Amino acid sequence: MAAEAVAVSIRKVGKRFGNVAALDDVSLDIRRGEFFSLLGPSGCGKTTLLRSIGGFEAPTEGDILIEGRSVLHLAPYERPTNMIFQHLALFPHLGVRENVGFGLRMKGADRAASARRVEEALRLVRLEDYGERRVDQLSGGQRQRVAMARALVNDPAVLLLDEPLGALDLQLRLQMQEELRRLQRQLGATFVFVTHDQGEAMAMSDRIAVMNAGRLQQVGTPAEIYERPANRFVATFVGHANMIEARLTGRAAEGLAEAEGPAGLRLRGIAPPHGATDGGVLAVLRYEKLRILPHGADGEGIGATVVEKTYMGSSLRFACRTGAGATMTADTPNAMPQRDIGEGDMVRLAWSPEDVVLLTD
Amino acid sequence: MSAAAPRARDPYRWWRTGLFLYTGLFLTFLYLPLIVILLLSFNDSTSTGFPLQGATTKWYAQVLDSADLIAAFANSLAVGATAAVISTSLALLLALGFRHGVRGQSLVLNLILLPVLLPGIVGGIVLLIFFGYMEIRSDLWTTVLVAHVNYVLPFAFLTLYPRVHGFDRTLEEAAMDLGATPLKVFRHVVWPMLMPAVVATALFAFTLSFDEFIRTVFVSGHDRTIPVLFWLLVVDEIAPHLPAMAVVIILVSTALSLAAFAIGRRADRST
Ligand SMILES: Nc1ncnc2c1ncn2[C@@H]1O[C@H](COP(=O)(O)OP(=O)(O)OP(=O)(O)O)[C@@H](O)[C@H]1O
Ligand SMILES: [Mg+2]
Repeated sequence: MAAEAVAVSIRKVGKRFGNVAALDDVSLDIRRGEFFSLLGPSGCGKTTLLRSIGGFEAPTEGDILIEGRSVLHLAPYERPTNMIFQHLALFPHLGVRENVGFGLRMKGADRAASARRVEEALRLVRLEDYGERRVDQLSGGQRQRVAMARALVNDPAVLLLDEPLGALDLQLRLQMQEELRRLQRQLGATFVFVTHDQGEAMAMSDRIAVMNAGRLQQVGTPAEIYERPANRFVATFVGHANMIEARLTGRAAEGLAEAEGPAGLRLRGIAPPHGATDGGVLAVLRYEKLRILPHGADGEGIGATVVEKTYMGSSLRFACRTGAGATMTADTPNAMPQRDIGEGDMVRLAWSPEDVVLLTD
Repeated sequence: MSAAAPRARDPYRWWRTGLFLYTGLFLTFLYLPLIVILLLSFNDSTSTGFPLQGATTKWYAQVLDSADLIAAFANSLAVGATAAVISTSLALLLALGFRHGVRGQSLVLNLILLPVLLPGIVGGIVLLIFFGYMEIRSDLWTTVLVAHVNYVLPFAFLTLYPRVHGFDRTLEEAAMDLGATPLKVFRHVVWPMLMPAVVATALFAFTLSFDEFIRTVFVSGHDRTIPVLFWLLVVDEIAPHLPAMAVVIILVSTALSLAAFAIGRRADRST
């Protein structure tokens, strides 16, 4: 990656709070103009990493570069970043317009120019008619927009967002997701977005960094993260998958490998990197990539019995037991022909080797 | 048939009546002296007491005319205002410092609050001995002011600390994120939001100082504050304009306390 395309470079960053390693040897590059998400379970260090970029935490190890310059020695008010806080932190003693204009005022920007930019920012978040309001006279979604305008009006090199949608109800949340995405595209700005909601991360991001216990697990596009999880943690944390403990038995063509699961189940899947040819592996097969076919369908797949059928609205989930005794779960659209399959029915299960990922750790 | 419907008996009737009587007694006990003073202040007689001898406002005229009283009032106002500003500033700095969690914080906190438990008379004697030892002459702007700040500070701190402590730190971070240096964070965010609480504290501190008697009487020398003057008037002569004076003081103190209360309520709502 060309150096000038990197907005934020995290280099071997570590952060300890007493005995807790909130960040452990984290290295990643965030590209300019990209919507980048930090995804992980609660307490994995997302906020700590974000706050380290913003200047609110000092890493105990490593370096952070913004636009190619180390920012570790810079205070938050000297960094070219702006943050949207989880609880927004709007100033209650100021009106909407003063909130949005706060950053420009602190930097001593020209008054007339500031006023213009504030109006522009309010228009950008569709709040042009609310400038006179007090912030406690706004709805949750409107407050959200004020927070965005307040940050964006400063034209930051990097916008940091710490679960800003966490407090909203589902409808509003989806709406604000779209809004954020629109803003990011429109401005071409670099967004670093913290969330523990994988759906949100998938839907919004250009790339995602999955973290766990202070360590980076995988960085990639939503598709890479989902289709090619790098390890067991990513495979379990993102989406639902059949996890089958297996043993490698050999290599096959085109990057595939052969493995043998419990009860003699023969699996072929994408070979783990590092060229291992034997030893334990984990075969990962997403629920929706497992096809479930009515018994009559011939040829393909292995025989199984439906143990449990769960109705989930737009989809159906079938837990099946194979002839050899392994349990496999499949998600299908709530449509024919799967709709008519019931518990206890005989079915056939089929999948493509390209949908099976073999992992060594 | 409606006549036959028995009225439900109120099981709490006796309790209610008792409570009503009790409340009446309670309020009488609280306010009767004030009413008596008010009546006496208009009493046209040179000896303070009953029976009332007709109405006059001459005592009020005399009160507002008395040079002693005006001087004492000016003293009380000046010392009260100064003590309020000093103790509130100190309390604010202390409370702000405490937010950063210094070592031995709870010990310091207790040491600050301990003097509240000290009886006023002990405080007065201690100060008298101290000033005597330091050879500081008793005077309004030295000994009285110091005594008042010394007395008021813990209360000012107690009033202010919860507000400062409860201040949302992320607001400061947000301001800093938007380019405000620590000084600007204070000026544009912390101060405007704490100001109502600070003003309420200052008013409270003022009323405490305005009311302070025991310590003041030990260290006031020739200068008199309102309570000290009162005491002298009572001891030296049963001055007939005392009740009028008392009413004036009550009105002033009440107005100040109400103002403090109102501002405090506004502070609560805005944080
Ligand atoms: N100021 C602090 N002092 C001590 N420990 C801290 C501090 N801040 C964070 N930690 C610890 O560091 C770890 C990571 O915290 P962090 O807030 O970054 O997690 P997170 O991924 O943002 O979690 P969440 O999704 O719950 O917000 C946690 O174990 C947390 O307890
Ligand atoms: Mg967090």
